Parts: sequence; structure tokens; C-alpha cells
Amino acid sequence: MKQAIYGLILYVFLILPPVASLAESVMTIHMHMQMPLLVVVGFLFTPFLKQTFPNFFVQWNAKGVPGILLFMVITVYWMLPRAMDEALNIRAIETFKFISLPFFAGVPLRDSWSKMNRLWKSITFIFLTLTYGMIGILYILTPIQLCNNYLMLEQKTLGWSSLVTALCFLAYLILNVTIDKSKYE
Amino acid sequence: MATITKETVPSQSTVKEKIHGMLGVNRQDAKLSLVLISIAFIAFLLGGILGLVQGLNRAGLFELPSWLNYYQVLTGHGVLLVLVFSTTFTIGYFYAAFSHTLGGLLPKVRKMGWAGLGLMVIGVVFVATTIIMGDASVMYTFYPPMQASPWFYVGLVFLVLGIWLYAFGAFINVAHWRKNHRGEHLPLLAYFGVGVFVLLFIGSFGVTAEVLYIIPWAFGWIDTINVMLTRTLFWSFGHTLVNIWYLAAVSSWYVAIPKLIGGKVFNDSLARLVVILSVVLNITGGFHHQIIDPGINEGIKFMHVFMSLSIGFPSMMTAFAMFATFERTGRKKGAKGLLGWVKVLPWGDVRFLAPMIAMISFIPAGAGGIAQTNNQLDQVVHNTMWIVGHFHLTLGVSVVVSFCGIVYWLVPHLSKRVLTPKMNKLGVIQTLIWTLGMIFMAGSMHIVGLAGSPRRTSYTTYGDNATALGWDPYLFFLAIGGTLLIIGCVLMFYIVFHLMFKAPKGETAFPIAEQEEGAHATPYWTERWTVWIILMLAIVAMAYVIPLVDMIFNAPPGSPPFRTW
Ligand code: HEM
Ligand SMILES: [Cu+2]
Repeated sequence: MKQAIYGLILYVFLILPPVASLAESVMTIHMHMQMPLLVVVGFLFTPFLKQTFPNFFVQWNAKGVPGILLFMVITVYWMLPRAMDEALNIRAIETFKFISLPFFAGVPLRDSWSKMNRLWKSITFIFLTLTYGMIGILYILTPIQLCNNYLMLEQKTLGWSSLVTALCFLAYLILNVTIDKSKYE
Repeated sequence: MATITKETVPSQSTVKEKIHGMLGVNRQDAKLSLVLISIAFIAFLLGGILGLVQGLNRAGLFELPSWLNYYQVLTGHGVLLVLVFSTTFTIGYFYAAFSHTLGGLLPKVRKMGWAGLGLMVIGVVFVATTIIMGDASVMYTFYPPMQASPWFYVGLVFLVLGIWLYAFGAFINVAHWRKNHRGEHLPLLAYFGVGVFVLLFIGSFGVTAEVLYIIPWAFGWIDTINVMLTRTLFWSFGHTLVNIWYLAAVSSWYVAIPKLIGGKVFNDSLARLVVILSVVLNITGGFHHQIIDPGINEGIKFMHVFMSLSIGFPSMMTAFAMFATFERTGRKKGAKGLLGWVKVLPWGDVRFLAPMIAMISFIPAGAGGIAQTNNQLDQVVHNTMWIVGHFHLTLGVSVVVSFCGIVYWLVPHLSKRVLTPKMNKLGVIQTLIWTLGMIFMAGSMHIVGLAGSPRRTSYTTYGDNATALGWDPYLFFLAIGGTLLIIGCVLMFYIVFHLMFKAPKGETAFPIAEQEEGAHATPYWTERWTVWIILMLAIVAMAYVIPLVDMIFNAPPGSPPFRTW
């Protein structure tokens, strides 16, 4: 319950019009700060939702696979330049962003994570590494402006920060594969 | 005892470690640490003398001879104290800590230690030579477009390589220990050590990139340089270095002081959380050194106020933990009343007095830092003597006096000697002289800075301008403080080498406080360094990618080199 309250505070804070428009004024902060924080809001809501609707989660997300697929679809959608543009121009899409990221990405990710086996966890990591890496390279190399609302340089910046994020994931993957935890723990 | 460090099976090694702990220090490991500490204090003395020269010059009491330039002296002072003294002491201290808490350094790691020392000495020789020849009066920050002799920067590369070897050595030793102690927590002091070496290693990426960019420019292979970019890369390291010393000092507060005053570690998990937070949040603080820099937009600066203030958080936790330890220990000794515990603390013991003064001084020092990190307030004090006053409090008292406090037990422990009551008394005197000196010096620096006196400027009255003349009384106090400080400096130098070579033989324990009985078990996630390091990299990325891309792609024409001296 405590977590849900923190989540609610964060959620309201992010929705506040001045905060939202400040976050959205910089492309990188829009994608790499506002959106992940909305996913975090979902994380914080999860225990409360699971308590309130236990059957729902058991029925629909028994092994965690449906949840993680939903998470992947939602993340990929929000990586499209077009989606970011529309979120800025169309009220309904903006609303959809504030609903989909916590509830269709954050909640299923946290619910699925503990249910998934090693294989699916690795798949998730590799998926994130690849999408961030690809989007990074795309944004860095594209010679034209992809979003109506953001300039070329912002696009390049987002490209670099996506690439760096992918590298962080990659470093984590490599460390996890090369360090044999059973030797230390 | 040399066999202790051989590869051993877990159970055997713990037994050996116990024996090792009882018999005291491993001679070979001690030698490495002692050499590092010696270098540190030689640098300390030389740097102090240069500091006095500056102080006297600024007060108008001493005119530099024609063959010596104020900025050359200032470069020497900064490099000797900031780069050489603090770094070599920190490394020497943590290598001794690893040796003690992890059952000796591995022979391989000890070799790496000596090799690292070699590289650092080569580096210092390059740097010192160019400074002495007057070819590198660029201050320890070596901001382009000022350009030193290329060999100055080559020396810096060697210094960094040396530091990396030490970091790798530390990681290897810790990994080895963990293999033999599966599922256990790293001893707290070694845990601090891991934090410090992670910061030293990753924190130096930025400055390495900077130096590798400057070198072709310094040799004339490229004509111009991107000034903003170099400054930003520098401070990603410079600020981290500050917190490295701070973590080193704090480690002794958490681990050694409770033992010395007869108390227990306040809370092991809290201490580890402080380390994690300091590591994860640190590097991005670098931007608070660039609040007045043009070319970084307000949004970014605004974001960085928070980044920078967040580092204050672990400091507050530390302050809380320390005073809680003192109070608990005092009350156990029968102290009554609200503040009775203050009286029963061992004020006459320099091993307590020194770090205690260090902690107290961190209260005004930290408050000053929080003020400075706000854009509007920093406009008033930026590049004035206030800043110099600030870091003589933080670095010159909180860190230096903590390090001196460590010396009183670490050096006798390593040299198998003891601290005599007479030396203790001398130590108390040294601490008090140093503190008084710094109160005079840092105090007047703060005030004269508010009155507008610039830092990094040799004596001038600006054509007898009234404002500038108004600074003189304070600058005079600065010189008085400096004079006291040099006495403290010489005393400390004497104490270090006395404890190393002359004090009576005997055994001095490495003070490691135990946990309170019935303390909560420390959660195991504190050991997940992969997670912390990745998190730290992600935060660094978040903070740096936007401004760096902007600085690179929106760069103005680059600058040709300047020689301002
Ligand atoms: C004998 C004791 C000391 C004296 C008299 C002294 C004096 C001074 C003075 C007067 C300056 C300001 C010069 C200027 O901006 O024009 C200065 C700068 C500085 N001092 Fe000290 N200091 C002493 C000890 C220390 C210690 C122990 C440290 C650090 C461990 C330290 C670190 C620095 C640094 C980093 C600078 C800035 C250099 C620069 O601006 O490039 N000083 N010192
Ligand atoms: Cu800083």
C-alpha cells in the first residue's frame, strides 16, 4: 500500500501540466526520463493491484509470458518517432501514453519478472538491448528530421543516449554471463 | 607469513586469516603502503611551503623573485596537494585496509601495486619537470585554451594508468576473497575500498578522454580545441576525485573511530548504503563546477542543482550515524543528561580528536557547498577567494585532518611501532595549530571572497583601487593563518616519519569496530556491484549525453592555444 501511495504521488507529479510540458520540451527527457518514470509508476502500483485483483493476474499472466509480450509491444510503440509526435499534438494519444506506460508496460513487467524463467528474462534483456541499440543507430544516422516537434540535433542526442542505454544493458548482460555468481554467493 | 596470500581452500584461509590478524601486519604489504604514505607526506610538505609562498604574496608581504611565477607556484601547490598527496595517501590507506581485512594482498596484486607506483612516479616526474621549467603554469585544472608543454599531459596519462593498475589490483583481490568466502559480506572497510576504486576507475574515463584530446593539440597536430568539452570532461573527474577523498575519510569515521572510543559500528547497512549512494550519484555532480560556464543551457543547469544536492544526502546520513555512535558510546560509559556524553569522549586522544575536528568542520563546509551549488548564490562567489576558502575547509580540514588522524594508528601499525603519549601530545598540538591556522585562513578567504577578491590572482592593488585596498586586512589574516599552517605542516611531516622510523617498537592494532550485538543482518543486495555500476553508468549517461552532444555538434570555432604566463 505504501508503494502504491508513492506511485500515486509520482504519477500525479508527472501528469502536472508544467512538469509534463517541461519534460516533453526536450526529446531525450521525454523518452528517457518521463516515459521510464511512468513505467516505474506502474511498478509501484503492481503489489496493490495484485492484492486487489489476485485472480486476474493468475488467470491472464500465469507464467509471465503474456505480460512481457504486452510490455514489449507497448515499449516498441513508444519508440516510434511518430508516436512521440502524436503524443504532443493529439490529446487522446497523450492520455494514452499516461495510461499505457504504467498499466500496460510497468505493471505487466513487474508482475511477469518474478514468474518468468531464465530464458524469458534473457530474451527481455536482449530485446531491450537490441531495440535501444537499433533506435540509437537509426536516430544518429538518419539524415532527415523524423519528428515534427523536435529538431535534428535533439534527434541525434536521443540517438546517442539510446545507444548508451543499449551499451549499459549490454555491459550488464556481459557481466552476468561472464561472472559465475555461484562462485561468489 | 608470506604463505598466507597463496591460493588456499576456503576453510584453511579463514584460519590463516585469523592467525594473520593476530600476528599483525604482512611486512611486504606494509612496505607498499608505507612508501605511498611517505610520498604523500613529502608532497604535503612541499605543497604546504608553496601554499605559504602564495599566502604571503597575496598579503603583499612577499614579492616573488623574478625566476618564480605566482601561477607556477599555484600549479605546483594544486598538483602536489590535490593530485599527489590525496591520491597516494588514499591508495596507500586502502591497500593497507585490503591487506588487513582480506587476509593479505595477493602476490600478483602487490606486484601490480609496485608497477602502479612506478607509473605514477614517471607521471609525476613529467608533470613536475614541466612545471619547474615554467612550461606548465596552467594550474591543476589545466583548462584549455591555456596550453602547457605536451609532456605535461603525457605525464598525466602515466598518472591515470598508475591509478588504473591500483584499481584492477583492488578488484582482483576482492574477487579472490569473495571466491573464498562465498555468500559472506565483504568487510566494511574493504567495501569502502571497492567504492573508492570503482569511482577512481570509472571517474577517470572523462579526464582520460580529455587528455587524449589535448595531446594532439599540444603537439600541434590539430590547430584548435573545443574548450567547453574539455572543461566538462575535466570536472566529471575533478568532482569525483573530491568524493573519493571524502569516502576515504568517512571510512575511517565509520570503521576506526567507534573502535577507538570503545563503541560499535552504528549500523552496517547504513554505512554500505552511504557507499552505494556516493558511488552511484557522484560523477554527475561535476556540473556544479560549471554553473557559470556559458554554453550549457539553463535547463541543464537546473537539472544539475538536484544532481548536485543529492550528494548531500549520504553526507547527512553520515552525520547522523556519527553523532548517534558518540552518544551511544558516551551513554554506555555512564554519561547523563542531554549532552553529558560529549564530556566522556576521549578528547585528549589525537586519534579521536583529529577526525572529530574533521567532522565538525564539515558542517560549515558542507553548508557552504550547498549554498554554492545554487546558481544565483554562486554568481556572487564564483572564482573569488570564497571558493578557495571553501575547499581549504573541506579538503584542507575535513579530509586532511582525517588522514592525519589515520596516520596516528596506521603508520605505527604498518611499521610495527607504537604511538607514545608524548607523540600523542604532539599530535594534539599539531591538530590544534592546523585547525586554528585554517580558521584564520579559510575564514578570511571566505570573507574577502564575498568582498570580491578574485582567486588565482597574484598580488595587485588594481592601481590602488579603494575596493581592492579594502581586502588587505583580510589578506593579512590569511597570511597569519598560512604561517600557522606551515608550522602544522612541518610538525605533521615530523610525526609521520617519526612514527615510521623512530618510535618505540611494538604492536599497534588496526582498529576495526565490530557490529552492535543483535544488529540487523545487512541485506545481500549491497554486494551486487554489477547492478550499482550499471546504475551509475546509466545516471552518468542521463546527465552527460544531452550537454555533450550539444557541445560537440553546436560547437563554436575551436580555440588556438594560449600561453598566458
Ligand atoms: C600550508 C598550508 C596551506 C596554505 C598556506 C595554502 C594557501 C593557499 C592559497 C593562498 C591559495 C589560493 C591561491 C589563489 O587562488 O590565488 C591556495 C590554493 C589552493 N590550495 Fe592551498 N594552502 C594550504 C594547504 C592546502 C592543502 C592541505 C590543500 C589540499 C589538500 C590545498 C589545496 C589547494 C588547492 C586545490 C588550491 C587551488 C589551486 C588553484 O586555484 O589552482 N591547500 N592555497
Ligand atoms: Cu564538486
